Amino acid sequence: MIQVEDLTKDYGTVVAVRGVSFSVGKGEIVGFLGPNGAGKSTTLRVLAGFLGATSGHVRIAGHDIAKAPLAARRALGYMPESAPLYPEMRVSEYLMFRARLKEVPRTERLRAIGGAMDRAGVSHMAGTVIAHLSKGYRQRVALADALVSNPPLLILDEPTAGLDPNQIRDVRALVKDLGSDRTVLLSTHILSEVEATCERAIVIDRGRLVAEGTIEELRARQRSTGLELRVRDPHAAAEAALTAVFGVSVRSGVTEETAPDRRRLRLGLDAALDADTVTEAVVQALTAAGIGIHALVPEQASLEQVFSALTRHEPSAAPEQSAETA
Amino acid sequence: MSPMLIIAKREFRSYFDSPIAYIVICLSFFALGLMFFFLNGGFWQLDRASVARLFESAPMGLSFLVVPVVTMRLLAEERRSGTLEMLITLPVKDSDVVLGKYLGALGLVLILVVSTLAYPIIMFKWPWNLGPLDAGPVASGYLGMILFSAAAVAVGLLISALTESQAVAFFITFFVLGALWLFGDLASKAGGTLAIFLNYVSFQSRLNNFWRGLVDSRDVVFFLSVTALSLMVAFRALERRKWA
Ligand SMILES: Nc1ncnc2c1ncn2[C@@H]1O[C@H](COP(=O)(O)OP(=O)(O)OP(=O)(O)O)[C@@H](O)[C@H]1O
Ligand SMILES: [Mg+2]
Repeated sequence: MIQVEDLTKDYGTVVAVRGVSFSVGKGEIVGFLGPNGAGKSTTLRVLAGFLGATSGHVRIAGHDIAKAPLAARRALGYMPESAPLYPEMRVSEYLMFRARLKEVPRTERLRAIGGAMDRAGVSHMAGTVIAHLSKGYRQRVALADALVSNPPLLILDEPTAGLDPNQIRDVRALVKDLGSDRTVLLSTHILSEVEATCERAIVIDRGRLVAEGTIEELRARQRSTGLELRVRDPHAAAEAALTAVFGVSVRSGVTEETAPDRRRLRLGLDAALDADTVTEAVVQALTAAGIGIHALVPEQASLEQVFSALTRHEPSAAPEQSAETA
Repeated sequence: MSPMLIIAKREFRSYFDSPIAYIVICLSFFALGLMFFFLNGGFWQLDRASVARLFESAPMGLSFLVVPVVTMRLLAEERRSGTLEMLITLPVKDSDVVLGKYLGALGLVLILVVSTLAYPIIMFKWPWNLGPLDAGPVASGYLGMILFSAAAVAVGLLISALTESQAVAFFITFFVLGALWLFGDLASKAGGTLAIFLNYVSFQSRLNNFWRGLVDSRDVVFFLSVTALSLMVAFRALERRKWA
């Protein structure tokens, strides 16, 4: 449904997106993930046709957005970041206006508007003036607007930003539900959102694509870098035995207060080596030293850690210098 | 209905959802009413049966108040609030967006213009009948006023396309339309080529012929060109934003 090839977008001197390529297949729910200022909204605005690409190609539902912009936009329901709406209009009136412009046939308009309001949960607000709606409801009206022409592709920029926890849950459920019969690309900087709703994630940072894959694939990218051990070690010999193992560092060793021969160890593994091999060597070394292993748990990288590892910035030079002079 | 007309209709209706339309209409009629009765003895103190006074004062009110107020928000507010993003990403041509907004605003201004017809009717038909009215200058005067409105609203739209602030749009439009009006007064004081130039660009000087019952094709072409040019530049400004 979406093919992005080498997309670059600059705002004068600021390069917001540089050389990003990805694609989203039919029926997928894809999370577009990145910290603030990563270029998510910029990319989505280019896809939706609000901004022109500086270079690169974008195809939406098979239509090149530069050559056939109207055909591309017809296939698309877009919800911008802050859900801008006309404050003076009533909800149903606004959706009617949008449905007309989205070429919903006259005979189906009322049904389409009713259906979209139902799905977005704003039916009971149909007669309310938009200026009187809360932020969460405005967000939902914008969502209803994205749905009104029943497009095969939805692009949602931070659909849950500014919602309360109940509404976040509702919107996530709705996105999952919508994703059963159409393609959804949604941006967020919240990882749990991607975990909760998406099958796949595209991670960008400072305008560059840094990772892409299913949630499991992303997790696997961050290899286990630590081990937690519970051992029977009456002579406190574990540290000495482990220093001989290549690629292992002992982060901490604690003797349990209730049982003096039981100890808890936390080991760091060299990320450059294969974690499985090192783990095996650890077990052999401990066994050879006569230490009994009661439990061994690899530290599982959380998606949060993966995310922060992917988008970790080198500390910039400026603060360091100022610290030096201070 | 074409997308352009759908957008125009919403724009037009939105004036009546805010106090703006009512305030502008009331103020205009109040000002015209004052002039009608008091300015230099009122509209009817003329020796000839004509509504020249009306034609002279109405475009001034349009230039200095009505058009700047009506056009200030057209694209500026739409851009500031982000609703422009909602419009541009629709399967609608950008030119339809510009023309739709233009027609919506022009619609409101033309309603005002047409409603001033009440004055000649009151003066020359009922309840007063100040004698037979020379229909020619009235018709040409209104044609001039309509052409003038088309050009003035287009200029206002263009200025609104260049800023995100309604207030800035208002003041620049006020200034530009005001200058284009006052150039006419200035021309009579200046001389030589400057006067020729001022008369050439002044909306007031261009309207002069219409008031006297003369429809000069050069004046018609002038107003139409200003309209077309302003709309084209406004469209370009909207397009350029994409690549900014
Ligand atoms: N209109 C603009 N003019 C200049 N620079 C801009 C403009 N819009 C965005 N930027 C810059 O482009 C970069 C990417 O912005 P963008 O809004 O795409 O980020 P984002 O990933 O959506 O962030 P957020 O999570 O905060 O919404 C930022 O550095 C931002 O400052
Ligand atoms: Mg954003």
